[in-house]
Amino acid sequence: MVPPRLTGALRSFSNVSRQDDWTSEAYDLKSKRLQRQELFSKEGLTWKKVTQFFRQHLDKAEQQTAAEQLKRILQAAKQIVGTDFGQETIESAAVFLFKTFYNKDQVGHEETRAIKQMFGPFPSSAAEASFAAIGQLAALSDEVQLEAFVRAQDSRPSLDRTPFGRNISFSYESYALDYLEGVPWACLEDGLSRDISLDF
Amino acid sequence: MESVVAVPLDERRVTEPRGPDDDGERSLPALHPHRMEKRSFVAYRPPRANGSPALVEEFLEHAQFIAEDLDWLLALPHDKFWCQVVFDESLQRCLDSYLRHAPRGLDPAALPASPAVADMQKRLHRAVFMSFLRMATHKESKENFFTPTVFGEIIYNNFLFDIPKILDLCVLFGKGNSQLLHKMIENIFIQQPSYYSDLDEAVPTIMQVLNTILERCGLQQEGAAANEPLKLEARATATAMTMSQEDLVDLVLYLCDTCSTIYSFLDIFPAACATFQSHGFLSRLVSFYEMVVPDMEKAVRKRNFDDKSLQEDLWRRVSHSRRKMVEIVHLLLQHTCLQPILEGSENIQTFVEDFLQILTIFLQEKRFLADYDEQFPVADDISLLQQAFPLLDETRTSYLLQGVESAWETVGRTPPRLAPLNK
Repeated sequence: MVPPRLTGALRSFSNVSRQDDWTSEAYDLKSKRLQRQELFSKEGLTWKKVTQFFRQHLDKAEQQTAAEQLKRILQAAKQIVGTDFGQETIESAAVFLFKTFYNKDQVGHEETRAIKQMFGPFPSSAAEASFAAIGQLAALSDEVQLEAFVRAQDSRPSLDRTPFGRNISFSYESYALDYLEGVPWACLEDGLSRDISLDF
Repeated sequence: MESVVAVPLDERRVTEPRGPDDDGERSLPALHPHRMEKRSFVAYRPPRANGSPALVEEFLEHAQFIAEDLDWLLALPHDKFWCQVVFDESLQRCLDSYLRHAPRGLDPAALPASPAVADMQKRLHRAVFMSFLRMATHKESKENFFTPTVFGEIIYNNFLFDIPKILDLCVLFGKGNSQLLHKMIENIFIQQPSYYSDLDEAVPTIMQVLNTILERCGLQQEGAAANEPLKLEARATATAMTMSQEDLVDLVLYLCDTCSTIYSFLDIFPAACATFQSHGFLSRLVSFYEMVVPDMEKAVRKRNFDDKSLQEDLWRRVSHSRRKMVEIVHLLLQHTCLQPILEGSENIQTFVEDFLQILTIFLQEKRFLADYDEQFPVADDISLLQQAFPLLDETRTSYLLQGVESAWETVGRTPPRLAPLNK
């Protein structure tokens, strides 16, 4: 719980700040995740393009294996997003899994966190299954070609721009208790300290 | 070669595609709600002290969203940044929630136990500060700037800054970033003088907070400050000695936060001292000190605490509050009287008279006067004053200095300058 604060009193009892209507919506991660998924689906890479890539770059014998792995990824994506969503959402989730795992050699903490950030709690078996399937797909294709394909499809605005404040030195130091004198009874023997009166 | 004259953001227009279903283009003011991106910032929740692994994970997950969104915000070009700041209410709520709920260095158990939580908290701390710093900057570069008056209107009308937020910024970030914060707040007040009016409106509420603390301690009847008639059979109120331990802890925390917040604000932005002083804040604070300090010290010392570490913590907080109140008084005296005298301002006589008048008020508050003199010897200030203003009435200054000596005697202490040296 937040301790009582002067600025809390100012917000409540003076007319110098906006009276905000704080609803639980402000903390709702479900709608935030949906928002994230929506933004991700607009980032360029689509499931159709992923399947096309493997169709174009693999020979016929390998294509059969690739199709099976692509199907496994979709199934895992369905398990992760749940059954309430349509094909479009499932395919977008499959693309997210593909982008997360195509160049990774394990389901690490970062990857798990990234999936949870996007979809909320999910069965770890689904992440493992998609990781295995994506690993097999990546093994079939040329590493450089695959990397170039994923990068070429990324339509996010370039993040090369230097963020504001990068070169501004910032101190994490914070105010600490700055007391005049120590605890008056700490250094005294039992019985002595309590008798000192501070009544003036 | 023809030079291009840069246009302020508030006058600039941009041409943008109409949308996915329309190939055409449209011209819009650069600062327009349609240019804001839908981002849905989430509000900040502080980490729980000694939280379970699940709570730690929950905090990290929540904070990660905010950190990523603020990193994105800070990387936006100037015009897009301002569209987001002005029109995205979720962003404003997010930043405000951080100011309200982020742990201050003075909070009990302010330091997160988990290193991952501490790292994330640091990341957010910096990103929030940089967001406010960017919002307080009306000229980011030669090309990216606002017309100053329009900037003042935008930050004020959209509550990007308000008095509680400014105070929160000081107490959260002021310790290590005082120069930057000073520049920020100075710029805000220069570009938008209405903040002085808001501060003027806020000071009585701050004084009411002092009254509330006195009332809770049973040292002042409700409404007494407003000169309401006292009821003859007023209900017996709790005192610092009799209230529940939980209430006492809350009250000490409230006192500690109030004193620290006012101190950090006035220290970083001394121009506000005049507004505080115009409400007679100084004499109010001094009489508050005289009433509340002995009462709280007595309660913390004499009450029975099962948890001795809590008792020690409360003692340190009362002591910290004492120190901050004395320092606030010194800041107010320094900036509203002494400095103008030393700078040889016009109406020097008025400032001298104000200074002597304030010291005369101190004479009644013995405990405060002794504590003040211990940190900021009154004799030093008077000596300084005599050098700057040789016409100073010596009878009056002698009377004041005698009053200081008498205050020390009354409280049964010896001034450090007179105390025998330990061998």
